[in-house]
Amino acid sequence: MQNAKDSFYMALRSRLATINPQRTILLRGSVRPGILVEEAEAPFSQLPNDVFVLRWTGTAADTDLAATMVAEQCEVIYQTCGTQSFGGLDRGRALSEMDEELLAMLHPFYTLKLCYTATPPAAMMTHVFWDDPTFAPVVVQRDRLSRNVMMTVYSYQEQGE
Amino acid sequence: MLADALLRTAGGATALLRVTGSNADTNMSEVGLVPTTFAEVAVSPALMRKLRPGWKEGDQSKWELLVSATSVEQQANALDLPSAQSLFAMTLAVTVAGQDYLIESIASNEAFGQAYLYRLLLREARQQAL
Repeated sequence: MQNAKDSFYMALRSRLATINPQRTILLRGSVRPGILVEEAEAPFSQLPNDVFVLRWTGTAADTDLAATMVAEQCEVIYQTCGTQSFGGLDRGRALSEMDEELLAMLHPFYTLKLCYTATPPAAMMTHVFWDDPTFAPVVVQRDRLSRNVMMTVYSYQEQGE
Repeated sequence: MLADALLRTAGGATALLRVTGSNADTNMSEVGLVPTTFAEVAVSPALMRKLRPGWKEGDQSKWELLVSATSVEQQANALDLPSAQSLFAMTLAVTVAGQDYLIESIASNEAFGQAYLYRLLLREARQQAL
């Protein structure tokens, strides 16, 4: 399961670096593409703006198959207050830009499953794949717009996992 | 300086800011596989005071840490950071008297455009596995 979660995050991260290299975050002293896994970082009192935050919420398994298929519910959360140069008046545009980036990141809807405990990461036998994202309505909190996007990430459990 | 003197007379504790070390960012550290190296930065004088206790089940107590701006500026300079805010942004947890706290928010008191005191709203951290 963890390999699927790691592979999904890494796929989105490398795609984001190509789609919009300017979207970055300074975290733990390093500049990284603007996407992070919430459970792998220090707890946030408030989620950072203008970056994608991955939150793993639910898990289900189908054991009636030759290999157990695991479905992991993933929530991608992002929020923006717009840019300073526009006085925040472009926050709607900034959110639309993030919507488009997320859609582009999710395509194609699969990636190779890799095991990140090995260095370099070892390719596994199967792929990780996911369904269409469900975009929740925009939440307006005064000057901040935020959105949650839900999707299910599927993978097959391999031997040794 | 007056703020430092007041903090010293009111207890003058030392707070340790646990900041991330200068290890290179790797794939493994981004998915929680590699333990990040930490450094502890001491700031003093500091004063802890408990805020109104939480009444909801599972709600951690909140504390306010008053810390000398002089000490924070010194440590930020020592780490070659542009501002105190950068130091707090790198801080994962604050340890006072052996207890870990997480930072909820940061405020500063200023006089003549210069910060003389930082007020950190803290929440008690839950016990982590060994």
